[in-house]
Amino acid sequence: MNNSARFSYLSTDTNLGEASFKPFLPLVLNYNGKSIEGVGILDTGAMVNVLPYQIGIELGAIWEEQTIMLQLTGNLAQLEARVLILSAIVKQFPSVRLVFAWTKATQVPLLLGQANFFMEFDVCFYRSQKAFEVTPKKSE
Amino acid sequence: MVPTDLREQLAKLNRVDKLEIIQLLAAQIANEEITLLNGASYPIWSPYDAVEAANIMLEALKAETYPKS
Repeated sequence: MNNSARFSYLSTDTNLGEASFKPFLPLVLNYNGKSIEGVGILDTGAMVNVLPYQIGIELGAIWEEQTIMLQLTGNLAQLEARVLILSAIVKQFPSVRLVFAWTKATQVPLLLGQANFFMEFDVCFYRSQKAFEVTPKKSE
Repeated sequence: MVPTDLREQLAKLNRVDKLEIIQLLAAQIANEEITLLNGASYPIWSPYDAVEAANIMLEALKAETYPKS
């Protein structure tokens, strides 16, 4: 891929072996002028991006002010979720708007899913090499 | 709920026997927790098939008024 950035799969616990490596993507999240560095996991099976409660709070977002409520699935279905739109910067690429399901869950990782991370970036996985490449979508 | 007669019997035990019962129950609980871990019951957070939520989010994104950089 041209204009792409290559990342390595990372393991949170190498004692767990080969299967423990995951495609973690470092990115900078911005909300109302406040930025934090985060690490999202590329989750092609997730229909949506998911933002853990604590990260939203650290960005200065106010739960009560987010009025669009969501019903998620799986384990996340038990907890309230609301729409939160952030700016995100990956590597050297221009900032993009990412829409998140901001969940009350705190133990969930930052998930980058189909809506809308994979609508903004093309990703090529090289799992056998423990690497992946990310490219911004082509301008329409 | 613990039956009343069992509570009464436990209350009659001497201090050493009560401590033994506590240890016994604590060990049982610990074993049950290990069994749960070995049983591979782990949370899966990924919101698979949350199509309705995805559509709401995309509509919200489309509707937002944000100065494009």
